[in-house]
Amino acid sequence: MKHACQQASRLASDSLDRQLSLWERLTFHIHLAMCRNCRNCDNNLKLIRSTSELIEKTRYGAIKLSDNQRERLHKSLEENTGQ
Amino acid sequence: MDRHDDPHAWLNKHGDYLYRYAMSRLHNEEQASDLLQETLLAGWKGYDKFTGQSTIRTWLVGILKHKIIDFIRREIRDRKLSEAVENDPTSVYFNENGSWSEAPNAWKDNPEELCQSEQFHTVLESCIDRLPEKQQLVFRMRDITGDDTDSVCKSCDITPTHLHVLLHRARLALRKCLEINWFGQGKHS
Repeated sequence: MKHACQQASRLASDSLDRQLSLWERLTFHIHLAMCRNCRNCDNNLKLIRSTSELIEKTRYGAIKLSDNQRERLHKSLEENTGQ
Repeated sequence: MDRHDDPHAWLNKHGDYLYRYAMSRLHNEEQASDLLQETLLAGWKGYDKFTGQSTIRTWLVGILKHKIIDFIRREIRDRKLSEAVENDPTSVYFNENGSWSEAPNAWKDNPEELCQSEQFHTVLESCIDRLPEKQQLVFRMRDITGDDTDSVCKSCDITPTHLHVLLHRARLALRKCLEINWFGQGKHS
């Protein structure tokens, strides 16, 4: 297949965002079975995704409004709603 | 009387959750807090539209989500971020026959270990910062924050196909950058 690895890298990326068609899955997996480079690339992209998600979860998991922010928000709600 | 349309009670009960949602997408305390305020006010004004089919929290997240999408759309418009689909920059990683010009290595690290390494965070961030702005934006929304394709397309005003093109470019560039600056330092098998 022409441009096989470049095309496979696109399918590796797309598979993180959408369901590949039956034909795409077939050609992708046949190519991966034969091509160690593309298997590595596929795993690399998955590792980047799962690590990025985990870092984000750790970073923002415990974040909270500060007392100051909360106070300001209550005040501006009062001004805008009369409540 | 038990009041269900009290924005102060919403702020006390759901404020942290909504703020976290906004912060993870905007990465800016002031903007996140502003949009939270707008959301609570919009919820208060539009409370008669709340059907009770979902929880108040889910309903408020829905409002916030739209506000974030609008905000990002404005940002993109104001900063005139655009990127042509032509001239595929991923071609630099491949030979003319479409095979890899430099073979990707197997990376042995696992997400838990990498997540704990401050040094890795720094390398990852600097690799993301080197991407063209629109690629950075879609990569952050999709792979870091985990927004669904539909929201990313709406925020950026692009088609799903265009989004896939941008993500492919971003991910291959990041892969290369991480291979050189992290996994290439004797950290691959």
